[in-house]
Amino acid sequence: MMLDATREAFRLLFTGDPELWGIVAVSLRVSLTALAIAAPLAVAAGYGMAVGRFAGRRALIVALQALLSFPTVVVGLVLYLVLSRRGPLGVWQLLFTPEAMIIGQVVIALPVLAAFTLAAVQGADPRIRDTALSLGAPRLRAAFTLLYETRFAIIGAVCQGFGRVISEVGCALMVGGNIAGSTRTITTAIALETSKGDFAQGIALGFVLLVLAFGVNIALALMQGRGGEP
Amino acid sequence: MSVALLSVHGLVKGYGDGAALLAIPSLELAEGACWIVTGDNGAGKSTLLRVLAGLEPARADAASFAGRPLDLANYPDDVRREIVYVHQHPYLFQRSIAANIGYGLARRGVARAEQARRIAAAIAWAGLDRVRDAPPGRLSGGEKQRVALARAWAVAPRLLLLDEPTANLDATARAQVLALLRELAEAGRTVVVACHDRELIELPHAEQWHLAEGHLGRQR
Repeated sequence: MMLDATREAFRLLFTGDPELWGIVAVSLRVSLTALAIAAPLAVAAGYGMAVGRFAGRRALIVALQALLSFPTVVVGLVLYLVLSRRGPLGVWQLLFTPEAMIIGQVVIALPVLAAFTLAAVQGADPRIRDTALSLGAPRLRAAFTLLYETRFAIIGAVCQGFGRVISEVGCALMVGGNIAGSTRTITTAIALETSKGDFAQGIALGFVLLVLAFGVNIALALMQGRGGEP
Repeated sequence: MSVALLSVHGLVKGYGDGAALLAIPSLELAEGACWIVTGDNGAGKSTLLRVLAGLEPARADAASFAGRPLDLANYPDDVRREIVYVHQHPYLFQRSIAANIGYGLARRGVARAEQARRIAAAIAWAGLDRVRDAPPGRLSGGEKQRVALARAWAVAPRLLLLDEPTANLDATARAQVLALLRELAEAGRTVVVACHDRELIELPHAEQWHLAEGHLGRQR
């Protein structure tokens, strides 16, 4: 049975099965949109927490680190309650739509991206910001210079965020609902279709997920290799 | 009579625990002056330079730059643009040497053609033609220091603060950097050079100052 399912999985992959690749497209669209929204906010927040000196900064950093282990299914539960018909945002009718999944993934990606950006900026050479400021850069420009100089760590943070949202299942299932052609993602399909006995699709999607996860990290490693030392 | 470019009275810079690292009653740096500030490791030379560059906040009873009142806890961007601080181990951005030298020019809104002209002049001034296409990471300590000096020279700051510019350099690199410093002093640039007691930097018309236990005193 295992062998037949694997053979069928590769047939689905290499014959361009529209259902399977449609699921992959939904996953990529949702996760990349969520990242595009979360990344600028999180990078700005992470940078602000790293260089800013304000009351409550330490508490904010502790809270951020705690959010890293926040279960995605709980994010899904809270979002479900907020978006459900009787919830405070029920009037928007977003539950079981790709937009709801995007909101959930933005919430999941924000702390990951912000925490990794915070670590990258804190670990950056302090001479970078000083040099930029001393050469006449205003503070905002010095921030961009520092982020540019640490770009591989920042891209690494975005990759970590991508890995987290593309592979999460709890929130996508709760607020997406695994509706074929609309909110069925790689992870929700693997979780639910496999339980119905459709192993081939599960194996094929699992393979795509692994390629995506490894591919992003390999691309990052290659980029870092080309970057050289400062 | 020379005009004070930078004037600070009642300067206090403390450690986090409240102890004073710098306590300087009066500091008057004339336009065109060349100061050499010596002191042991940990005497506060770098901190003094960083405070004067606006990179570290400090308290002062009164301060002014070119006659304008100055808050040492919050340097305005336009005053910071008049001052360049060069780190003991300069950081070169991960871009070409020309782009490193052009960084400060771009921040000042200098037109591209003028940037190119001043970058070429700075490269020639610092004798960097031979290494101009090398990646910054491959440069020696002396070459990095010369790029940093060229980067500062290009923007023609009114005040140049150099933190131990010849420390950890071999004899040849040290001689090259000293030659550039002499040119700056002879050209009438306002320069403050911090160096270790053992360094013995001699520059034309230089005033010797010594920093010890937070106090700055003129020598000889």
